[in-house]
Amino acid sequence: MEALGLKVWSSKPLRHLFHLASSSSSPLPTSKSYLSSFSSSSSSIRCCSSSSTAAAATAAVRKQGGRGRRSPADSTTNSTSDRDAIRAIRLKKVEELRSKGFEPYAYKWDRTHTANQLQEIYKHLENGEESNGEDDQVSISGRIVARRAFGKLAFLTLRDDSGTIQLYCEKERLADDQFEQLKSLVDIGDILGACGSIKRTEKGELSVCVNSFLILTKSLLPLPDKFHGLTDVDKRYRQRYVDMIANPDVADVFRKRAKIVSIIRQTVESVGFIEVDTPVLQGAAGGAEARPFITHHNSLGRDLYLRIATELHLKRMLVGGFEKVYEIGRIFRNEGISTRHNPEFTTIEIYEAYSDYESMMNMAEEIVTQCALAVNGKLTVDYQGVEINLERPWRRETMHNLVKEATGIDFSELGNDLNAVKEETFSKLNIGANSQERHLIEACTSVGRLLNEVFEMVVEPTLVQPTFVLDYPVEVSPLAKPHRRHAGLTERFELFICGRELGNAFSELTDPLDQRARLEEQVKQHNQKKEAAVSKDSDTKVDDDVSYEVTLDEDFLTALEYGMPPASGMGLGVDRLVMLLTNSASIRDVIAFPVLKIQQ
Amino acid sequence: MADNVSTANSTPAPSEAEALSKNARKKELKNKQKEEERRRKEEEKEKKAAAMPKSVVQKPSAADDEDMDPTQYFDNRLKTLAAQKAAGLNPYPHKFHVTMSILEYIEKYETLNSGDHLEDVQVSLAGRLMNKRSSSSKLFFYDLHGSGGKVQVMADARRSDLDEAEFSKYHSGVKRGDIVGIIGFPGKSKRGELSIFPKSFIVLSHCLHMMPRQKSAAAADNPNAKNIDAWTPGSVRNPDAYILKDQETRYRQRYLDLMVNSEVRHIFKTRAKIVSYVRRFLDNLDFLEVETPMMNMIAGGAAARPFVTHHNDLNMTLYMRIAPELYLKELVVGGLERVYEIGKQFRNEGIDLTHNPEFTTCEFYMAFADYNDLMELTEQMLSGMVKELTGGYKIKYHANGLDNDPIEIDFTPPFRRIDMIGELEKIANLSIPKDLAGEEANKYLAKACTDFDIKCPPPQTTTRLLDKLVGHFLEETCVNPAFIINHPEIMSPLAKWHRSKPGLTERFELFINKHELANAYTELNDPVVQRQRFADQLKDRQSGDDEAMALDETFCTALEYGLPPTGGWGLGIDRLAMLLTDSQNIKEVLLFPAMKPQDEPPVKAVENLKI
Repeated sequence: MEALGLKVWSSKPLRHLFHLASSSSSPLPTSKSYLSSFSSSSSSIRCCSSSSTAAAATAAVRKQGGRGRRSPADSTTNSTSDRDAIRAIRLKKVEELRSKGFEPYAYKWDRTHTANQLQEIYKHLENGEESNGEDDQVSISGRIVARRAFGKLAFLTLRDDSGTIQLYCEKERLADDQFEQLKSLVDIGDILGACGSIKRTEKGELSVCVNSFLILTKSLLPLPDKFHGLTDVDKRYRQRYVDMIANPDVADVFRKRAKIVSIIRQTVESVGFIEVDTPVLQGAAGGAEARPFITHHNSLGRDLYLRIATELHLKRMLVGGFEKVYEIGRIFRNEGISTRHNPEFTTIEIYEAYSDYESMMNMAEEIVTQCALAVNGKLTVDYQGVEINLERPWRRETMHNLVKEATGIDFSELGNDLNAVKEETFSKLNIGANSQERHLIEACTSVGRLLNEVFEMVVEPTLVQPTFVLDYPVEVSPLAKPHRRHAGLTERFELFICGRELGNAFSELTDPLDQRARLEEQVKQHNQKKEAAVSKDSDTKVDDDVSYEVTLDEDFLTALEYGMPPASGMGLGVDRLVMLLTNSASIRDVIAFPVLKIQQ
Repeated sequence: MADNVSTANSTPAPSEAEALSKNARKKELKNKQKEEERRRKEEEKEKKAAAMPKSVVQKPSAADDEDMDPTQYFDNRLKTLAAQKAAGLNPYPHKFHVTMSILEYIEKYETLNSGDHLEDVQVSLAGRLMNKRSSSSKLFFYDLHGSGGKVQVMADARRSDLDEAEFSKYHSGVKRGDIVGIIGFPGKSKRGELSIFPKSFIVLSHCLHMMPRQKSAAAADNPNAKNIDAWTPGSVRNPDAYILKDQETRYRQRYLDLMVNSEVRHIFKTRAKIVSYVRRFLDNLDFLEVETPMMNMIAGGAAARPFVTHHNDLNMTLYMRIAPELYLKELVVGGLERVYEIGKQFRNEGIDLTHNPEFTTCEFYMAFADYNDLMELTEQMLSGMVKELTGGYKIKYHANGLDNDPIEIDFTPPFRRIDMIGELEKIANLSIPKDLAGEEANKYLAKACTDFDIKCPPPQTTTRLLDKLVGHFLEETCVNPAFIINHPEIMSPLAKWHRSKPGLTERFELFINKHELANAYTELNDPVVQRQRFADQLKDRQSGDDEAMALDETFCTALEYGLPPTGGWGLGIDRLAMLLTDSQNIKEVLLFPAMKPQDEPPVKAVENLKI
């Protein structure tokens, strides 16, 4: 199947195809700045014969290629022909450079400074002042993102990883015909290396006065206009590199993401946690309730599941004698995509022997505040127009009290008569006969589940400021230890910020018998749902959500039988934390290459 | 980058496959017998249990337990638990406050004199009891293990807050393997053994199974035990001397392995140190750690059989990544000039001593650098790491099995550099045609393989023939770290053509102990040439080489926006961990290695050759 994308290719070298210009009727976009300065080469374009068969072949290559992993979204007819024209022009330039003895794809460049370093070193340079001592001979490299050319002078803006700097190119300072080359062969988008001295222009722009330069990489495609690059959301995700070139802020999100992950590591390692790797491919997918991805290992002749959590393997490490372990890793869930869900996402799970959920609350506060300080330098966060205050301590409140506060229903007083509790809920919440809410509540099979449902429905969205919600019902917490004081509840918390769950933690269930009973119950419930789904719509579609298999992880239960120390564990969603701290509305803004629907 | 880190074939010879299935049948038979025996025992047990009054809880003495049938032992333990629960006790307390780890305890009180007792100091420790001895019903000794250390527990009824009867009753119920919390004071026994003297002693979690133990009692107090604890990276290990030796059990129940074989914990600590050294090394050079997708619509960046899965909601077939290379280069195009990713790769291949279906690599990409720069970085990184972890540049490794003396591997930089084609021609006395893409070269190399009796199963593409010859003549000489450099273009579809040697690329592979550890090149960034290379790969695929690489259109488009001159690099983390922990099997350095399903005959690998 890997060969699909290739099949239409003839073995004929593609080089020939690209030498032919497209048959487009408007071969030259005139308004775009990047083309304005090479009128000389534009004539060569017009001379190109436009063979319609060749153009069709080129198009076919592109179209077929589009069946690839994330086909480039550059299909509006107009811009396609523009792009083809530009590509053809630039391929000519590649040839021209080679014919002159220059390699348009250089091997390496030694730079002395980054743009930002220069801005920093020379920030005191006055307007119009020049520094050209021996130490001021610098060498830089990066992508050309803007240019203005006059008769004997050209200004180029060069951007590297650190920032931008201007290239001040005077004909007299450049050797031989380099100035002509600059005008005719360099385009916006090219990657250039340049050497020269430092000067701040009269207008205050710090510049490198170039005395020599080298084209390091010739770009073949035009950079998107600001407007296009920013508005075409789909293209932004499908071609992240274009997004990053057009909008430097995007790269900043990923720099911050790296910083956040690194601070998380530092924070937990500073108190003695050790990082371990547990398997992605597993014989049984446990540790959470979610539809797993299934794959097949050929030589083992066996189906494997992609992990939906790291929990059960990390707990085995506690059994093995590691007392503080963590794993930052990818989790996979075969569920729909949304602004909050990507099929693969990153979590940190940490487990500590001889601690309980109380200490995990402190750990959560520590991790999130350290990250906020490292990334934003302060503990207030503006998230989509809402100010979040991360000053510690954060509110800690039980689920019972939060529900009571929001609805007036006191579940601790209601007893265990499920139907009575349902009626009470309908009346207090004013739930109409045929509403979605009513169906959700009707479906609850126990008071604990009902409490959780009401919490999710009413309270969750209101938890904007950081809040630890404590003591979940045992029915919805199969891996948490029973509460030491309240029957029916567990020692569990979830952390909410901006109405979203960021973390989930418990005093871990260590009793192997209790654990077995709870997991068996989980399997039973799942199978009941599955059967119900099959019988309900036997001739329409089977409810996909529950059609997967859930099996007992016997090996995990055996591990517990060897004795796991009292411990607490926590999982934090790294992507959601990055969203919060970078003020990103969608999870796709913090994942470099998110999963997207197949393009039609 | 690590496109060839995994080159081994998943095809066992037919005879091997036959042997496998024979073994499988044997195993099946054995399992059936085992199963039957188990059932028989269970029935017996049920009869016994029925005959016994339910209220009576058996309390066998510590010594007797160890000779008991494991099922019976488990059963007894369950009964004890049930009795506690029935009495309203919680056998699994929620929390025990620990004031220091056992290692900290040892560090702090090691200097006490024999016979010293610090009675007014109170500490609380927790850990697993690995040994139990009693000299009377009033005095019990235990070894308490935790955080990689061990301390003696001297439980004396006179110091306990329980009365004598309660004390001896409680301690007779404590079993080897239980996890306990102890509040007491530090001291040293008259014989000079650092101990804790408990005032209170509480079982926090119960070990319901019998723990594996050393066969002879003498060996349990093995005088070498201290040396085993002192294992350091780069020195040799001897798994034959482990308490738990059975490999299957060690890998399937890693927690047991970690509990009883104290060296094992250091393997995984060493692994964590390796990863953290690499991270620190790159962070110090301003590299940015990123995450790229593990599920793709095309498995690109290497040539290997991918795992296939399906996204239900999007109705989309996805492949597990076989390398992150293409995505990382896209990020360099996007302006992140130095990026790296340490993460899992997945290859749907057979399992053997050096291959696991999921394995960990580090790949990094560095704009404006070339393969010469990367060779220097590689030398710095690996020699620096070995120095930091082991204290020197030389490590010991059982390259020829545990029965033979270990070899020494010297990481002193610089590493040897071997020009692939030139050196091959010299050693094997060949004169390989310059046009490696041509028929002539193919015939020449096929003949060379025949002449030297080097087997190359079909398809005999030039790439595969060369690979075999290089393996035979060059890789075999690489015991100390060595770079094999300048691979032909046909072998390296993502590497840039050599700036001065036509037909070759600017690529290197690092070999240590004859195995490939790293693979790097000056990245090919000419989009036209890249497309051409993919087209050439297609030819190899058509001639039956399913390890040829597939085209990724998004990646080619990215190159058209311009990838700066870039050096790219990939390292197999597992293999490096193997070297530094004297491990000959990759399973030794993976916490939970992939294992054949238990109780099922393995499927013949041969059936699955074709996609």
